[in-house]
Amino acid sequence: MAFVYRDPFEVLQSELERMVDAAFSPTGRTGGLYPPVNVFDRSDAYVVKAEVPGVDPEKIEINVEDDTVTLRGERAFTEPGANAAYHRRERGQGEFRRVIRLPGRVAADEAKAQTRNGVLTVTIPKAKEARPRRVQIEAA
Amino acid sequence: MTASELEAKPKQKVERRETTRPGTYFQPPVDIFETPDELVVVADMPGVPPDGVDVDLEGDELSIEGRVSRGDYEGLKALYVEYGVGGYYRKFALGEMVDRAGIKAQLKNGVLVLKLPKAEAARPRRISVEAA
Repeated sequence: MAFVYRDPFEVLQSELERMVDAAFSPTGRTGGLYPPVNVFDRSDAYVVKAEVPGVDPEKIEINVEDDTVTLRGERAFTEPGANAAYHRRERGQGEFRRVIRLPGRVAADEAKAQTRNGVLTVTIPKAKEARPRRVQIEAA
Repeated sequence: MTASELEAKPKQKVERRETTRPGTYFQPPVDIFETPDELVVVADMPGVPPDGVDVDLEGDELSIEGRVSRGDYEGLKALYVEYGVGGYYRKFALGEMVDRAGIKAQLKNGVLVLKLPKAEAARPRRISVEAA
């Protein structure tokens, strides 16, 4: 049998694409909730990623309560001077608030968040009893 | 004034010809404005690290490309998905002469700011009329 190497990142990419297409096509949705989020399972934790380019990390408020993550903040730019003329304006500004329900029980007080290159990552460890556990076999 | 509520626009996929790297590319949303001295392009490219951007000017065609860092997704299994992850690509025809040597690019918080100074010949100039 031939073994075909598939780059794990490309596998994930096509998986994400398939899921996005399944969720939003073919209605041609024009606007959705901001920021767009992806939720991942990392076996011991849930990882919520959100695209927030240009949002000051200090202006993002994150709350984790029970199984719910709330993101709140504002995206605001400094406007160019009065002598500037716009040719295109496609980037939006404004306030946002999003509530994301996690699919299982979590240890809310152990949640961590960081932003990198305009992507917010919130890592919420699963509740102890929900984490996978390796069971040792005892010698008889 | 109350701030408006932000809406997310779905990422638009772009087809690139002659790609050397496989993978999905999206069209980054941009703001473009012009001052008397320069043209400024601002593009949203979340996930692209500061060293992951290429800016190319060929004739009057400006192209920008961003590549995402892949390590951020190791060991993750997708449960719920609203956006795809990939690179960014877009090109523009510039209507103005640009001083190539003076082009400056900066990437911060996933936003590319590209400053293209106008070439001397393209800047507005006041011409005084001499009395005969």
